[in-house]
Amino acid sequence: MTYVFDPDNWEWLVTGNNVRFILEGFAVNLEIAVIAMVLSLICGLALALGRLSRWTPLSVAAGAWVDVFRNLPLIFLLLYLALSIPGAWPDAYEDAIPSWFPEGLQSGRVLAAILGLVLYNSAVLAEIMRAGILSLDRGQSEAARALGMSYAQSMRLVVLPQGLRRMVPATVSQLITLNKDTTLVSIVAIQEVMRHGRIVTSANFFGGVQAPVLQVFLFVGALFIIVNLLLSRLSRRLEIHEQRRTAVGRVQRVRGLEEQAV
Amino acid sequence: MGDLISVLTDNLDEWLAGFWVTLRIVAIAFAIAMVVGTLVAALRIAPNKVLQRLGGAYVETFRNVPLLVLLFISFAGLRRAGFEVGPWEAGIASLGLYTAAYVAEALRSGVFSVSKGQIEAALSLGYTYRHALRRVVFPQAFRTVISPLGSLIIAMIKNSAIIGVSLLALDDLLKTARVISSRGFQTDEAFFWAAVGYLTLTGLATVTIRFLEKRYAIHR
Repeated sequence: MTYVFDPDNWEWLVTGNNVRFILEGFAVNLEIAVIAMVLSLICGLALALGRLSRWTPLSVAAGAWVDVFRNLPLIFLLLYLALSIPGAWPDAYEDAIPSWFPEGLQSGRVLAAILGLVLYNSAVLAEIMRAGILSLDRGQSEAARALGMSYAQSMRLVVLPQGLRRMVPATVSQLITLNKDTTLVSIVAIQEVMRHGRIVTSANFFGGVQAPVLQVFLFVGALFIIVNLLLSRLSRRLEIHEQRRTAVGRVQRVRGLEEQAV
Repeated sequence: MGDLISVLTDNLDEWLAGFWVTLRIVAIAFAIAMVVGTLVAALRIAPNKVLQRLGGAYVETFRNVPLLVLLFISFAGLRRAGFEVGPWEAGIASLGLYTAAYVAEALRSGVFSVSKGQIEAALSLGYTYRHALRRVVFPQAFRTVISPLGSLIIAMIKNSAIIGVSLLALDDLLKTARVISSRGFQTDEAFFWAAVGYLTLTGLATVTIRFLEKRYAIHR
């Protein structure tokens, strides 16, 4: 305990550019997380709708896809993609990426990272969304059809708004998990917070002070706690706001889904 | 096709060893997660504000920190601080303590899912509080907890792969795939068999959970 709180071991916080360097790495994590979140939500919804499709070949294919990628370790997907993506893809990515994009995302290696994160998380989110949609009373879509809406209209106007609102808590836990999982991309050699943390702890970085590993990664852990707590606080705020706006009372949650997100 | 089979058969010993390491990590870490998770859940439902806060702090901390950061702290961090921690201890403790936060939440919501009338009825029938918990509340809570705990085991199987490729370098299934693939430039084949290994584990876990859910379902 004395080692943890010894002021000498925290001196690195105020010397040189250590903290700034770590925060720069953390920003790369957040950038990757945001891109992966947006893409995963879009792909996840597509997969969920595919799985619920009445055309059997599509629903079977989407189901198999979701079950495979949901049950493989994310780190496995990241490593495999990093080793096996054809060399032309990262080059194409580097050409295609607009120059105003953050510096951390300019490297072609990011492609494998984002691809892996999206493959895994879209499968998990698809399962959450499917459960949300299925939890809705059948009468809702039947009533919509009886009113003369097409399948697409009843989905878009009746089923999805209600079903998706129910799975907001489960989705947010998965997004928090995604945020944590961005640390795994350090293994495919992207310069993010874990790599920057290790550089700081190697001898004679900025200021000539060697930062202790334990304290540096306690600091990194604290950064994640802050961001993730803000994320869950934000979702709760959103939920309450939605309830007031739509005046439907407490939105029924889909139970048993939060555990998916570990 | 011949390549695919030979990558498995030529290195069968290594594959089995890797599979066994993954299995052991998951089993021991799950035992730790269950013990610690139960304690934390007990703190969270204790009739004392301070204890509740303590349990809550544990859950919020370990749920919001990446597992990789825990591994760095428990291995490299403690070693630099002068504690001799081995990769096995660090890996299993990190995975166990990380999952314990989720176990605690699952157990807590399981206990709360039993309606209050149940315990009141048991008490009015003359059960003591301990008896009511043991005979009435826990058996019902157990049913609702099976499926979340099952999801946690599946998540642990997946998360165990992080231990092998991080700086701890335990020779688990994924690490084995990496070694074999770099030896013969047979990336696709090696990762295919690792995928088969992981899908076998998660598939077995899924089937077992479904069986247990059916077995303990309430027939009305």
